[in-house]
Amino acid sequence: MSAFLVALIAGIGAGALYAMLGSGIVVAFRGSGVINFGHGAVAGYTAYSFDELRESGSLYLPWFDPIPEFGFLQTLRINNLPVRIDIFDNVTLAEKPNLAITFIICLLMSAFLGLLMHFLVFRPLRNSPTLGKVIGSIGVFLYLSSMCAVHFGGQNRYDEGFTGFNSTSGAVKNFLGLGGTIPRSNFWLFGAAIVMCVAVWALYRYSRFGIATRAADENEKGAALLGYSPQFLAGANWVLASVTAGVAGILFLHKTQPAQIALFVVGGLGAALFGNLTSIPGATMGGLIIGMIASGGVELTTNSWWPEIIPGDGVRNFMPLLIIILVLYFRGDKLPIRGSISIGRQPRAPTSTNVIIGAIAALGIGLLLSNIFVSKWEAVLTTTIIAIVFMYSLTVLIGFLGQISLVQWTISGLAAYVMIRLMADGTKIRETDFVTNTGWGWPTVLAFIAAIAVAVIFGLLVGLPALRIRGVQLAVVTIAAVIAVESLLLRNPPLMGDGSVSVNPTPSPNWFGQYVGGFNPNTARTDYWKFSLFIIIIAGLIGVGVANLRRGQIGRRFLAIRANERAAAAAGINVANMKLLGFGISSGIAAIAGCMLAYKLPGLQTDQFEIFGGLALLAFAYLGGITTVWGAIVGGCLIAGGLLPEFLGVHFESVDTGLINAVGAIGLVVNAKVTNGEGVALLQTDLAKNTLAALRREPDETEEAEENSNNDTEEVTA
Amino acid sequence: MTNILETNDLTVTFGGLNACDHVDLAVPTGKFVGLIGPNGAGKTTFIDAITGYVPTSDGNAVFDGNDIGELKPHERAQSGLVRTFQSLELFEDLTVRDNLLVAAYPTRWYTFIADMFHLSRQDKEIEERVNWALNIMGLNDVSDSMPTDLSHGRRKLVGVARALAAKPKLILLDEPAAGLDTAESQTLGGHLREFLNHDMSVFLIDHDMGLVLSVCDFIYVLDFGKIIASGTPTEIRESAAVKAAYLGEEAGEIQVQEGERMRSQQHESGEDND
Ligand SMILES: Nc1ncnc2c1ncn2[C@@H]1O[C@H](COP(=O)(O)OP(=O)(O)OP(=O)(O)O)[C@@H](O)[C@H]1O
Ligand SMILES: [Mg+2]
Repeated sequence: MSAFLVALIAGIGAGALYAMLGSGIVVAFRGSGVINFGHGAVAGYTAYSFDELRESGSLYLPWFDPIPEFGFLQTLRINNLPVRIDIFDNVTLAEKPNLAITFIICLLMSAFLGLLMHFLVFRPLRNSPTLGKVIGSIGVFLYLSSMCAVHFGGQNRYDEGFTGFNSTSGAVKNFLGLGGTIPRSNFWLFGAAIVMCVAVWALYRYSRFGIATRAADENEKGAALLGYSPQFLAGANWVLASVTAGVAGILFLHKTQPAQIALFVVGGLGAALFGNLTSIPGATMGGLIIGMIASGGVELTTNSWWPEIIPGDGVRNFMPLLIIILVLYFRGDKLPIRGSISIGRQPRAPTSTNVIIGAIAALGIGLLLSNIFVSKWEAVLTTTIIAIVFMYSLTVLIGFLGQISLVQWTISGLAAYVMIRLMADGTKIRETDFVTNTGWGWPTVLAFIAAIAVAVIFGLLVGLPALRIRGVQLAVVTIAAVIAVESLLLRNPPLMGDGSVSVNPTPSPNWFGQYVGGFNPNTARTDYWKFSLFIIIIAGLIGVGVANLRRGQIGRRFLAIRANERAAAAAGINVANMKLLGFGISSGIAAIAGCMLAYKLPGLQTDQFEIFGGLALLAFAYLGGITTVWGAIVGGCLIAGGLLPEFLGVHFESVDTGLINAVGAIGLVVNAKVTNGEGVALLQTDLAKNTLAALRREPDETEEAEENSNNDTEEVTA
Repeated sequence: MTNILETNDLTVTFGGLNACDHVDLAVPTGKFVGLIGPNGAGKTTFIDAITGYVPTSDGNAVFDGNDIGELKPHERAQSGLVRTFQSLELFEDLTVRDNLLVAAYPTRWYTFIADMFHLSRQDKEIEERVNWALNIMGLNDVSDSMPTDLSHGRRKLVGVARALAAKPKLILLDEPAAGLDTAESQTLGGHLREFLNHDMSVFLIDHDMGLVLSVCDFIYVLDFGKIIASGTPTEIRESAAVKAAYLGEEAGEIQVQEGERMRSQQHESGEDND
């Protein structure tokens, strides 16, 4: 019992991080009405900057050089955008730059990040629909995380930072006579969280700026009376929020790796919701509670009676989700975010005309490419196609039904892991495998179907909260679910086999006597032609299915729900059932994508299904066009490792995944603003239509154009 | 004669305010019933209550012989109790025709399988019904347009057409004529009684007294959530209570005249628009 209490108290350490992030999320929300999923990434970027400055004396600016210095570009000698400032010279291990000065420089950096977010993302998106704002903040998350990877390489960092907050401060023994030890730094962090809470709270309570922000909460005129414009207030709050994130990131440098801090945003979101998105003390308290119950929960898992199938890490990562669900369930209607009111126009979702022609063309191109391509290019093609299949799942769920779920890629992973577990039979599959998985040795097709069934059931579970909550709230729940599911279900050796914590080897898939794995046994590369053929057919079938869904009755119903749930119910639509159906279909498709990825690679790692991968896929799906099948195809070609970047890579040598994702994130935000999230695909279609219309006006072209339009209408009515 | 809809003591409370206060109302099968009353009288709330959009605190509603208190809004719609909205609540991403088709086709969850293979059959009867609804509301020429491309008035007609397409036994119209130009309101007014020939009863809320008095078989008057009068159009025209509700002597007359004047004004502005 006392060990449990000690663990509970020790939880104030992690709790302090949640508390600080939660407070920052509240600050940003009060200033702008946006829930910032990228808040943790701000902390992470600042923490990296701090360490880098201490280690090398250089400060990296939060952007990348748009003009790479290789290939033929080298000869152009264009002045590049500066990305690095060398602030301190002669940095050695013994003589690191002054802590206080470094700290201040880094806080200026995070303040700068706040300004950038305000001016480049959220101010432009202030009149966008809810969906657009959520997408904007996901863009921030993805962009900053990618920039961390580009500038800092994502490696672990070990700067000792401030005394007290690092391990040199030792441990408190026998706290309150409970026995056990608690790191002294936990108390320091706790203290820092309280100080931050009081400072921000006092700022809001007593300063003119704070009073104006609170007035603006109620109505914008109030703020104007005090002499502030709402946009100034929003900008100032973004800066304040980012600075608090920066402080949190730096203070925790010694506890968590900067690369991980971005993920702690989930606990921060839980904390912020606990504080009703308005109260700083509430958010601080919520953060501490999440930290404490998580730590206490993990302690319970060390007991002998604890079932081995529930891993400690899973318990820890489940707690933010639990708090979020509880808060939304009991207080959801009192939260200041009204998910149900969708302001602004939704992206158009036109029916696909010429489904058959399109399908034949796409299949033809796919088959042609797979015949032309060999070795690496065949692998690039299959990567693209798997991404396309996955994006179809987003088309159905987000594009048609309007439900933002961030957990779909995790569902792909779940299906892949379940399938591998069912197929595995304890024998070593390849010479190169580190581990052999035990399992049930099911035949390929059966395991495939069972994996899809599991994914669908899980998708329905995720859909259940969507019956009560909408918009941003759903996005918050599903981002928390990503973290929870990954550690609870995927990284779980008793459940998924020993491979689940290292490289999970895929047993050879055999469909009706044909080996359709992507791993070529002869060359040991992932370029097997039967696999390409197999997934081209599968992608074609699903693409046609999704296009047909849109022009059928269910598609109409999905769009009706997306547009207006009240009116949908009045039209006799069972909104709850249709939403669950959407989650089911989407999860089924996502599962197929996951299983195909397993077929392609000799082994899977949980990293492949972690949050960044999922968000990057979402970003490119948006960029391509979330509402159409054609958009998914465009989006799939854009991803890192997909056709387009690899083609460009021929000229620019290899292009960093982080860089591509950063570009994707920028595209995401620009797209949300410029095309209202409709993406490249619809832009193209519009362009084609307008060109056609222009051609039609020219007399000699009339016949051809009319013929085309006749074809179109025939397809629609057919 | 049976009643398609009957409410007994129906009460809706919003934080102490009785928006509907023990309302007893009946719509006889195959008849055209009107509900009038000043702004904020609780008319929309009454429709919300019987269609399941707000919870009732007392009383019950019987539709087609069944107590519908436990049914969800979509179940009530499926059973033939179909409403329109006072505000525009269309499916903006669907064409006008699709707006109607959504309401017209019944769907099971497994329909998606047929959909994905593009196998769903068109039902002749339903398609005919949709065409009829488009036709009667004068929307034939815009059936493939998006609602956002239409005038406000025509969008309201899409709302009515969508309700008609759902094959209602009782259609509840919440101020369908508000915001219509003359041509549009003539289309509507001229066809309203035709609805009765298609196996449905009609319940109409409108501020246009001229319209209500001319099309209804029976009229209820609501004020501060209470039914203060009911009767045939002639009786309502004469009713002192109604006049009082519309502020002072002869107010009823004024309202009638105003309704007509507004129509003629709209007539002019409508022509301007053309
Ligand atoms: N959701 C609600 N919460 C609180 N009060 C409400 C709500 N809906 C309506 N009311 C109140 O109930 C009363 C009746 O409103 P209702 O909309 O039913 O009137 P109405 O007769 O339809 O008026 P109008 O002719 O303007 O459409 C009004 O006082 C209104 O303010
Ligand atoms: Mg009303």
